[in-house]
Order: sequence, then C-alpha cells, then structure tokens
Amino acid sequence: MAANPELKQKVEEVLKDNPVLLFMKGTPEMPRCGFSMRVVGVLEQMGTEYGAIDVLPILDPLREVTGEISDWRTFPQLYVNGELVGGADIVEEMAESGELAELLGVEQPQTATAPAQQEPTDPQQSPPLQVDGA
Amino acid sequence: MIAEALPGAEVQVSDETGGGDHLRAIVRAPQFEGKSRIDQHRMVRAAVQSRMDDGSIHALSIQTKPSR
Repeated sequence: MAANPELKQKVEEVLKDNPVLLFMKGTPEMPRCGFSMRVVGVLEQMGTEYGAIDVLPILDPLREVTGEISDWRTFPQLYVNGELVGGADIVEEMAESGELAELLGVEQPQTATAPAQQEPTDPQQSPPLQVDGA
Repeated sequence: MIAEALPGAEVQVSDETGGGDHLRAIVRAPQFEGKSRIDQHRMVRAAVQSRMDDGSIHALSIQTKPSR
C-alpha cells in the first residue's frame, strides 16, 4: 500500500521543523506504550528539547509513511535532524554509550541509565594485565 | 533465520515472556562493520520479516554488536 502523499508531505515538514522529533504512542505526559515511555525517559534525561507526535490516531497511514521515508514501520521512532536514529532499544543503547548525547549536542547526563554499572570494573575496559617474564 | 541471512553471525535469541512471540535477539555479525545501528537493526529485522508479517513473532527486541 502506498503512503498517503498529503500525510507524507506533512511528516516531512514536521521533520524539517523539529531537529529532535519523537513519534510515539501516547504523549510524553501520558505514554501509552512501554517502549515509547522508555524513549521519553531518555530524552528527558538528556534535557534536550524535542517534538512529540502521538501516532495512535493515525497509526496505519503513518506506518506507510515512515516505511517509505526511513524503511521503518514500528513506533516509537526518534529522528534527529531528519534522520531516523532508532526505536527504544537503539536509543537506550546510544544513551548509555554517550553516542546519543554527542548526536544531540548535549552533555552526557551524570545519571545515565544503568547507574549500577561502574565503568572501572568493566573487564573489557581495563588495560591488559602485564606479566613480568620469569 | 538470522544466521542464514547474515553468514558468520552469532545469534542469541531469548523468549522474553515465555509465550514464544516476544523475543529478544542479540546478534553479532561481521556485516555490521561500518554500519549505523539503525542499519544493523534493519538487517536483522529484514531477516525475520516473514515471521513478523505472519504474526508468529509479535515483538522482537534487537541488540546488535560488531563482530569480535
């Protein structure tokens, strides 16, 4: 099924007007889906301004549009500068790694997700063990 | 399915709810090299698209990692 050209044009305009745009189920104040809620949580933590569109009233036509624009049909979808960054999984991963803060041009928040993780104890991050030759 | 589409991939799939239709896949593949995360996810998703379309997988949570 082809996307509705009017809706597609509207979406393209909204993307142009909002450097950070979230397509979500529900609203930031009242998310209607756990994945959408997770992305809202990350964006709030980043302290960045963002636009949010509730996809629920126009779910199916909007799927066709995002399918054509970015080959992605599930929501939430976070766009930065008109480019699809990802859904909840990718956004959370990028928030933890610092990539998202970099992309958004903000400081990595101190209270990044997974506060239990302590960087110095990550074995992959520590320098290789030096063993003196016997 | 994923390993077929991405030869050389290491795939770990777990059933999140026990119902068999909410799955979590951790995929490590050489094909991810140099690709953005969204492209990596697109590759995994494309591999399982038929199962998403027929409804046998309802939700798939994906985590991709570059090859070791």
